[in-house]
Amino acid sequence: MKILVINCGSSSIKYQFYSLAENRILAKGIVEKIGMKGSFLKHEKESGQKVLFEGEILDHKIGIEYILGVLSSAKHGCIGSLDEINAVGHRVVHGGEEFSESVLITEEVIQTLEKFIELAPLHNPPNLKGIYAIKALIPDIPQVAVFDTAFHHTMPQHAFMYAIPYALYKKYGIRRYGFHGTSHRYVSNRACEILGADSKTLKIITCHLGNGASACAIKYGESVDTSMGFTPLEGLIMGTRSGDIDMGAVSYIMDKEKIGTKSASVLFNKHSGLLGITGISSDLREIRAGAYEKGDERCLLALKMFNYRIKKYIGSYAAAMGGVDVLVFTGGIGENSGVTRAGICDNLEFMGIQIDEQINESCMGVEQVISQKDSKVKVMVVPTNEELMIAIDTQKIVDGIL
Amino acid sequence: MIIEPIEDFGLSKKQQQRTLFSKIGVVGCGKDGQNIARIASSNGMEVVFIELSQARIDNAFNKLSIVLDRRIENWGMTQSEKKLTLSRIKGSLDFKDLSDCDFVIEAIRAESSDRKITERKEVFMKIEEVVSPECIIATNSTTIIITELSSELKYHDRCVSLHFFVQSPEARICEVVKGLYTSEIVYNKVLKFVKMVNRQAIPVEESAGLISIRLYTALLNEACEVLLEGVGAMVDIDSVWKVGFGMRFGPFELADILGIDKINRWMENLYSEFGDPRYMASPVIKKLVRARRFGVHTCCGFYQYDDKGKIIGNGPLSTEKL
Repeated sequence: MKILVINCGSSSIKYQFYSLAENRILAKGIVEKIGMKGSFLKHEKESGQKVLFEGEILDHKIGIEYILGVLSSAKHGCIGSLDEINAVGHRVVHGGEEFSESVLITEEVIQTLEKFIELAPLHNPPNLKGIYAIKALIPDIPQVAVFDTAFHHTMPQHAFMYAIPYALYKKYGIRRYGFHGTSHRYVSNRACEILGADSKTLKIITCHLGNGASACAIKYGESVDTSMGFTPLEGLIMGTRSGDIDMGAVSYIMDKEKIGTKSASVLFNKHSGLLGITGISSDLREIRAGAYEKGDERCLLALKMFNYRIKKYIGSYAAAMGGVDVLVFTGGIGENSGVTRAGICDNLEFMGIQIDEQINESCMGVEQVISQKDSKVKVMVVPTNEELMIAIDTQKIVDGIL
Repeated sequence: MIIEPIEDFGLSKKQQQRTLFSKIGVVGCGKDGQNIARIASSNGMEVVFIELSQARIDNAFNKLSIVLDRRIENWGMTQSEKKLTLSRIKGSLDFKDLSDCDFVIEAIRAESSDRKITERKEVFMKIEEVVSPECIIATNSTTIIITELSSELKYHDRCVSLHFFVQSPEARICEVVKGLYTSEIVYNKVLKFVKMVNRQAIPVEESAGLISIRLYTALLNEACEVLLEGVGAMVDIDSVWKVGFGMRFGPFELADILGIDKINRWMENLYSEFGDPRYMASPVIKKLVRARRFGVHTCCGFYQYDDKGKIIGNGPLSTEKL
């Protein structure tokens, strides 16, 4: 079965084209700057050869039309006709309380997703555009939605509720939804496969550390808590997002700086986090250079704060689950930065986390156990692969209906 | 890496439709023009604005930069968003650069009110010479009747009047006026444009002063009366309006922001249109105009301002005997 995985952002579309049975990625690429000047499609063939297509890409539908056009072209494509695509899997950020797992997209599903636009105004509209586009271009193809929030659906109520008037939960659905679910699910499953263990027997903490960052407590295969909440702003310190902050400080700042909700949202989403502390960059590599090459104190501080926040979450999730067996790092930073992993795990020997310094330092973006042989907790690096997860889910669901 | 033109890889070879509003033109880049350019650009559109001299273009960019900096200082935007916004705006002295725009907004500031209509008509005709027949032409003017402006154009069904709120550029609202000739298609496209720049369209029947200007001029005239009668001090009148009625600015503060010269012209136009004395500008307004105390942009109006536009005290008016 050949499956096209699509991830529509506000002005970009990432795609990967899988032949799962043969375990091959037939092609992948990205459309960028949709609706803007200088839009392009970057396509990579299975051979690794890259082709850049330049020209006007006015909206998501046209972007997807070009993706399909390139995939089926004689010159750069890998299929003879569009009929060879068996299904399309979409990443959808917000599935609200309705969707606890990936679903086949029907009219009803689309209507429900349209309702969630309010909950994820930045993400769900482009996701939906991708779904509409495929529906218009290949009308009868089965489409599957894979939600960022779905994996966290197993969180118990005492973990997902906020201690605010219950009426607000009823009225607006204010609760913790959690994000990065597909990633947390993939890396925790993969970690179990690598360890040859059954996920139903393990307590796992996964740390997805990229430009956005979140931690997840996974008990016996189910997410029981996660650091992102109603929006992706809560929890860990991120590139430009503050993560946890006292609401009292928020209203005080808004009052003092005379700003409204919109500017406040920009302040905590775009001016904060690592960028806000250092005033230099949201990129950990640059911050590390600032800290160790130039001795910049705020860079040093930012690194410490970043690690400290993650450490706190690991501790609290271990407490919440009554222990931890596996700690997984993933995401750009989690996969590539040994220093960060070492910083986070430092002094956690008391709870059985002992990393092997040498292995950890040399581990870059590959699946590896980085803890010492006798470490009670297995610490691992597992590069995430959300697209593969989406493809697998899509195949499972479509297999069920065909 | 191989580079290919993407057009050859569409599924259907039929002519791709152009995006609506990928590039818009603004004629006149004073305060109104700058705001329109900035709003369109920050919503992802390419903007070209036409000015009379390079100095004015430079000045417009300078002002745009200051406005965006202030937004950054107030946490409303990031440096890179500012760069992106500015990079989408181009200044030009040549109307020909409007040729590939699908929407052009006239936002000139006419120096004298007698020449106002003629000047705008000339601009409309100059725009029509260079743009395609589908291009929509709009005016940002509020007291000029769009039917009159468009009457001499070849395709006069493509004209609308579109009013952005200058005093509070972030006000997510925009008055849209359909003229006698305006076609449904054009009107609906403009509604789409307003939606694309994230604003609510308020449909308004063609009438000088729309809703906003008629309401505001009446308010300001009454505020001046209250001041003249000695009922209350200027600052207190503003406070009552702001605090008592939950408004962002008082009538006098707002007059300074809008420009008293401009308000005076609005009132002249309204008076000549309706012939109703209630639109006659109050003597206080006349006096300030004669003294060239136009408000924030001249650092003095009802209040006095520093060069950053911050109020530093009352204008001379409040202490002078009127």
